[in-house]
Amino acid sequence: MSTSKQADASDQAADAPKEPRTTGVYVYGIVPTDMRTEDDAVGIDDSRVSTVRHGDIAALVSEISVDRPIGKPADLQAHAHLLDGVARVAPVLPLRFGAVLTDTDAVKDELLTAHADEFAAAMEQLEGKAQYVVKARYVEHAILWEVIGENERASALRDTIRDQPEAATRDARMALGEIVANAIVAKREEDTATVVEALDSLADSVNVREPTHEEDAAQVAVLVEVARQDELEQAVGALAERWDGRVEMRLLGPLAAYDFVLSPTPEG
Amino acid sequence: MTTGGPSSSSLADVIDTILDKGLVIDAYVRVSLVGIELLTIDARIVVASVDTYLRFAEAVNRLEIGSEPKGLADLAGGGTEDAESKTQGALGAAGEKLGDLLGGGQEEPQRERVSRESTRGDK
Repeated sequence: MSTSKQADASDQAADAPKEPRTTGVYVYGIVPTDMRTEDDAVGIDDSRVSTVRHGDIAALVSEISVDRPIGKPADLQAHAHLLDGVARVAPVLPLRFGAVLTDTDAVKDELLTAHADEFAAAMEQLEGKAQYVVKARYVEHAILWEVIGENERASALRDTIRDQPEAATRDARMALGEIVANAIVAKREEDTATVVEALDSLADSVNVREPTHEEDAAQVAVLVEVARQDELEQAVGALAERWDGRVEMRLLGPLAAYDFVLSPTPEG
Repeated sequence: MTTGGPSSSSLADVIDTILDKGLVIDAYVRVSLVGIELLTIDARIVVASVDTYLRFAEAVNRLEIGSEPKGLADLAGGGTEDAESKTQGALGAAGEKLGDLLGGGQEEPQRERVSRESTRGDK
């Protein structure tokens, strides 16, 4: 591999006065060693993706310039796109965004060799499976009507503030807003449980995510056999139909199993 | 979900997934080689606040007679686009909030945050 040759060369030059390093090795994830990267597989900055191998496992990497910060939308998308593409065809342990090592030797020694057994075992468990994420978001006016319909005080407060300037009705608005916010929290809990229940029999593992938006109804990640994707779609579709007009549902996947890889716990 | 098949991930979906999930390894400390700009996890945490309350109240105030659930059939159609624009809206809001917190986008506090995050992950 051309990248490792470059790394060797830079190691030999280690005695020379230190120049600021301008490139590093970005690591996307861990895959089985027989996984081949397509020639046109690209990562961050459209750089070519290759593998660094060690026994049965390999790291998906690309060279990256370290003199600019990463984290632009395109960088995030590139990381996810590559890993999700791989997840369709092979087990992959996704790394959290932003892992950069100094060179391919560091990838081999510090990452692969140090964790070879854990990685191999984890990959075995992911064989044939992928992550899917169900995202449910309340349709705002529908959920607001629901809250007002269920809560007399909210309904009364609505009449109080109706068409009144904000400054004159601030207390009533605060009270109303708090009722709505609390009601949505309670509904979220209930509806998340419903989603989990609907997917439980299909999923090997379930991870309920924290809400990232105040009108989230549920965010649930599941690890499912790719062969059962149809069943998953049907289960989510049935919920979407049941909640039509009230909750907007989306199903993302197949994705790399971000929610289901456990980080090795270093001693201390 | 209008088509039945899985939808593709928006930027907001990607952020929800790859910034605080996935393997973190001890070698990950090396991330200090780079700075991650802009988006941090802190900005996404949902905290009920005065702003939230006032926004909900105003949304209730704007509810129009006739848009009650019974009349929802018309509105159910434009699902996907709706969701998409809301997602982007949420992301935009997170960005704005972050900007406020940092008093304009200097890089230092962001870098500090990122390294703190990785430290926690390594523990």
